[in-house]
Amino acid sequence: MNRFVKLLNFELSRFMKIYLVLMIVTFIVQITGMIVTANSYMAEANKMIYEEGMSQAQFIEQYGAMSFLGFARGLWFTGPIAVCAAALLFYIFMIWYRDWFGKNTFIYRLLMLPTARLNVYLAKAISIVLMVLGFVSVQLIFLPLENSVLKWLVPVDFRADMTVGQIVKWDYLSMLVPQTFTEFILYYGAGFMAVSVLFTAILFERSFKWKGILLGSVYAALSVVIMISPLLAMNFMDQYYLYPLETLGLEVVLGLLVTVMSLWMGNYLLTKKITV
Amino acid sequence: MIEVNDMKKKFGHKHVLKGVSFTAEKGEITCIIGINGVGKTTILNAIMNLTPLNGGQILIDGDTISKHSYEKITFIPDAIIMQPNMTITEAMQFMADFYDSWNQQRATELLDFFKLKESEKINNLSKGNRAKVNLLLGLALDVDYLLMDEPFSGIDIFSREQIADVFTSHLVEDRGVIITTHEINDIEHLIDKVVLLDEGKVLKQFNSEEVRETEGKSVVDVMREVYQP
Repeated sequence: MNRFVKLLNFELSRFMKIYLVLMIVTFIVQITGMIVTANSYMAEANKMIYEEGMSQAQFIEQYGAMSFLGFARGLWFTGPIAVCAAALLFYIFMIWYRDWFGKNTFIYRLLMLPTARLNVYLAKAISIVLMVLGFVSVQLIFLPLENSVLKWLVPVDFRADMTVGQIVKWDYLSMLVPQTFTEFILYYGAGFMAVSVLFTAILFERSFKWKGILLGSVYAALSVVIMISPLLAMNFMDQYYLYPLETLGLEVVLGLLVTVMSLWMGNYLLTKKITV
Repeated sequence: MIEVNDMKKKFGHKHVLKGVSFTAEKGEITCIIGINGVGKTTILNAIMNLTPLNGGQILIDGDTISKHSYEKITFIPDAIIMQPNMTITEAMQFMADFYDSWNQQRATELLDFFKLKESEKINNLSKGNRAKVNLLLGLALDVDYLLMDEPFSGIDIFSREQIADVFTSHLVEDRGVIITTHEINDIEHLIDKVVLLDEGKVLKQFNSEEVRETEGKSVVDVMREVYQP
């Protein structure tokens, strides 16, 4: 097996325990949330119909039928997703800093492996992307299960049923689950670019310490400026020269430029400037 | 041969190394001696490309260090550099996975030599045993050069004796060894070459056998002359 794949496997296995815990917590919280939400909806329905004398039609007109989207807008559903997103964001930093700090400085070993140091960088970056994809995939498995719980707890007359296909087209879920291959490349490509910019900023800090924090911040800011420069320029001139599709094309080119620049700079820092 | 030419390094405004030059041959033990903070560890880090230099050049068998060099030179720092939650077996497996030069037979031999339990987690080991695991992971590589940073630092006398025994065994012979220490007594009789450092410069370098034969002085005697004139 080539060393890059071994490194990737190693990086993934290092986070696996926390990763599995996050997935299990997400599942438990979302299922619990669905049960609580459905039960409280039905309790309200029973109260209004049997105690207040409201008809079923009036209740649905006033409160609306329960749909998955109503649940998906709530904290029970979005909370665990936000926690997973925050954990992964935190891990973007941890994946490097854990090798420098603590009882054992594993970065010595990583940098002394007989493989290009860029492989260490790429293994870490790709493991982050794979972890995001993993979370999204697992969430896709959870959706039909949660949808089934909804159907099980709420009678059909009180529900506005949705298929998983309809659910994933909604709001932020459509970002996590791209609808087309082009969207997939765009969203996850942008994600990889962001990870590479942050990694390079971290390596600036690891290479130049205090000065590196400044350099890393400038680097990240520069990357953002490059990405928004077409919009800034057009906004500044108050003239929109480009059609939306042309703007998108330009953004893709700039995104590629920023990613390649980050990889090159990351490799340069790892091979020429890094200090254990 | 490892050639260190005019090595310069500064941290902030402090010049730690001000043009250090020496060579270390295969089959010899070269000892870099100096007080704490003199730059001994920095020299080893720089040889392994773990810290950038501000000047100078390092050649290993005539080449600058590259990814391929890590199959023929290894560094054993004074702290363990493996994941703390790994068992010794897992740490050995990690090395076997990544290094073509990993010698499993020698690793097993070293496990017996150091009387270490494979199933033990690195986290749970004593400082002495961690140092031994560190040595094991370095010595089990079929490399030409070994760099060791303070291998006797802060460990008990029995572990020190065991580690010192490594230097007289076949585990080290034919390899070029660079060792940094300020505790010379355990290995004084084994050292071939000595590099004495102070204030970022090489004060003196000599062949210990030659000095012993021609001047009748031990390494410690020469150190006293240099450091306490």
